[in-house]
Amino acid sequence: MASQNTQLPDAHDYLDRVIAELRALKAPQKDTLVGVLQYLSDHIRATRAEIGAIKGGADGDQLFGSTADELEEIVTETARAANRIMDAAEAIEGVAAKVDPDSATALTDAVTNIYEASSFQDITGQRITKVVRALQSMESKLQALAEAFGPIEGDAPAAVEGDAALLNGPQLSSGATSQDDIDALFATAVA
Amino acid sequence: MSLNKNMRVFIVDDYNTMLRILRNLLRQLEINQVEEATDGETAFDAMLRTPPELIISDWNMAPMTGLELLRKVRAEPKLRHIPFIMVTAESKTENVIAAKQAGVSNYIVKPFNAETLRAKIASVMTVAA
Repeated sequence: MASQNTQLPDAHDYLDRVIAELRALKAPQKDTLVGVLQYLSDHIRATRAEIGAIKGGADGDQLFGSTADELEEIVTETARAANRIMDAAEAIEGVAAKVDPDSATALTDAVTNIYEASSFQDITGQRITKVVRALQSMESKLQALAEAFGPIEGDAPAAVEGDAALLNGPQLSSGATSQDDIDALFATAVA
Repeated sequence: MSLNKNMRVFIVDDYNTMLRILRNLLRQLEINQVEEATDGETAFDAMLRTPPELIISDWNMAPMTGLELLRKVRAEPKLRHIPFIMVTAESKTENVIAAKQAGVSNYIVKPFNAETLRAKIASVMTVAA
């Protein structure tokens, strides 16, 4: 009998042996039990394959880690954009102090609307942070599950090739190529 | 009701953008004596040195949350009388009740508009007067 320390692959092999031994029996009641055990065995095999595919991820990246990084980048980018919006609104407010009262009121009202709307960044930031935490929690649970299943071979997704491999979306700022680097590369690259 | 333009306000939020929004909205209300901090501990120490007349704080901050800051303020004799407005995205009933039990003076849910901010400030300052 499989002990408590036995990994799932061992238990799966054990289950398959039990199924084989039951099939060899001539007892008429065995069919239902064999059917249930076979279903369990197939289910474990399919789940192992699915977890292997998730573990592999695109280009071998950690899927969850990469997704969390992308989400955190959204927070950074929206904060940067919100601050630029605020810079512009403050400049407009400065102009409002130098124009006629009616125009000043119109400008100030518009600037107030911009200030109010800029709080979206705080709200979206908090929501995205919640999603990142949920992803990190799922990642650790999946990792524990993958370890319980033991080594999984041959089920990593096929690497993306050709033009499709060039579609990676925006780069994270930590690994991004600057416009200056691109200009330099563009100036020297052979067509 | 007009606001006391000379009141000293302390604003606390871990999002710099939100601090900037609050400061600008307060400036539009002609309230220019504004101090700020991005965490509760720094805010508490600064307020102990120079107690403000109004505290406006976010809830969701680390390591000290706005609720913890509120409790600390209410437990400190030098600060306990100061009106405290919570400005937060935490809008569940249990949050509002917890803040009320801790002694919050008023509660603003993000996103908010300038008029709500003005009205809540006027409300808590009237009670405090």
